Amino acid sequence: MQILAEAEELPKTTNIRTQLVALWIAAVSALILLIAYLAFPGFWPPMSPRLTAEDVAGFYRNHTAWIRFSMVTFNLCGIMLLPLFCVVVVQMKRMATQSQVFAYCYLSAVVSGATLFALADIFFAVAAFRPGRDPDLVMLLNDLGWMVFIAPVGMIVAQNLMLALAVYHDNGPTPVFPRWVGHLSLLTMFAMLPSACAMVMTGGPLAWDGAISFWLRNGAFATFVIVMFFAVRGAVRRQAREEGIAR
Amino acid sequence: MSATVVAASGGEPVGTEPRAPASKRDLWIVFWIFPTFFGLFGVIFVLLARVIPPPRPDVTTDQKVQWFASHATTIQIGFAAVCVVFGGAAIANGYVAYQMKRMTSGPTFAYAYMGAMAVGTLPGLLLVALCFSAATFRPDREPRISAMLYDLGMLSFNGSLGCFATGYLAFAIAILYDKNQIFPKWLAYVSIWQIVTEVIATQMWVSSAGPYAWNGSIAFWLAVIVFGFWLNCQGIFLKFATDRQPAGSRPAD
Repeated sequence: MQILAEAEELPKTTNIRTQLVALWIAAVSALILLIAYLAFPGFWPPMSPRLTAEDVAGFYRNHTAWIRFSMVTFNLCGIMLLPLFCVVVVQMKRMATQSQVFAYCYLSAVVSGATLFALADIFFAVAAFRPGRDPDLVMLLNDLGWMVFIAPVGMIVAQNLMLALAVYHDNGPTPVFPRWVGHLSLLTMFAMLPSACAMVMTGGPLAWDGAISFWLRNGAFATFVIVMFFAVRGAVRRQAREEGIAR
Repeated sequence: MSATVVAASGGEPVGTEPRAPASKRDLWIVFWIFPTFFGLFGVIFVLLARVIPPPRPDVTTDQKVQWFASHATTIQIGFAAVCVVFGGAAIANGYVAYQMKRMTSGPTFAYAYMGAMAVGTLPGLLLVALCFSAATFRPDREPRISAMLYDLGMLSFNGSLGCFATGYLAFAIAILYDKNQIFPKWLAYVSIWQIVTEVIATQMWVSSAGPYAWNGSIAFWLAVIVFGFWLNCQGIFLKFATDRQPAGSRPAD
């Protein structure tokens, strides 16, 4: 995409530029988050809920530095994915054939969902702050961290449902997103939904370290974020062309 | 002239390019999430999670542990279900904010309502799910810790006051300034009573038994009655607002 010289200083050009900047902030943060994800020893393999309090406390004692590094990184960069979802809101508001109601509900769900992600790393990091703490308390912090990280998928369910419905209702001559974005959104929603069971299960695929609740859930979300980066970038480029400021 | 017509109907017509005939299906889908979510919310919190009616604050550590043990299964089912459906709260509140944007009072309080309610979901809804799930997850947890989770859960659920008071205040002010009659004026005064109940409920932070405790007749039951009335009115008038919104219109930016 190339911005036309005569459009350089127009406000609508700035609107395109800021959306692209937001996308790149999210892309760089996603890469940093991936590094933090690889660096957290608690994910390789994911910690079993069946560990004893002594084992959990021992884990935080033995891996303190890596836990601190990864959780501080999550803390600093986790919410920097938010600009990606805000560009989705901007694009949803461009959908011509509807009342914009899905965009408002999507934004509301995105904000609430982000607060949960911002909370999880604090529990893990506090557990690593004093590795000598009473093991029962370390296990409590570890439980709370895992539960809030994996189980409350309701906000992602809500936001992906709103996005999919918006895409399906966007039946004008030039849809903002291709139809498959709606399908992907629903597919991701269904893949993440079962991990709500991590609130209860202590073993098996639905426990917080399980094949469904951990691997499928996080794999689906990561794939969704990566694919959405390209889908949203495509939508912003189409907007630039439609508004006659790029070719 | 057309601008006046638009202002009177509380929306602006969507662009001018050719498109499919206007439909209100998107509005109705979102509207029906409101009663569905709050219906589920009632069933889950009353029948399964057992936080309404609230368990007592004036019990010993052992009694708290015993309470978790005797309701563990339903608490677990209830809060796992909350994890799936609590996004409905965001959609319901987002839709109220959307209808508030059709008012003539400007977008400020619509955004304030959306923001306050989005923040309130974490302390007012999710924290109790987290605390009670953590307590029932390990029945053999140190009793002092389970007892703390009991207090933390109940006080965050019943004692999160400011987020909701801010939302109610935004809702009331927006209605009072509105000339489009999206919601009736008297609902603004009910919202102000909602703020009064939140102020009274501050007493549950210092009172562990009696009418002002977190299960008390004034701090809890009076507030629940006002809330139930207010919520039902909000839902009913949300339906009327949806009825009246012209197809193919959207709120001004």
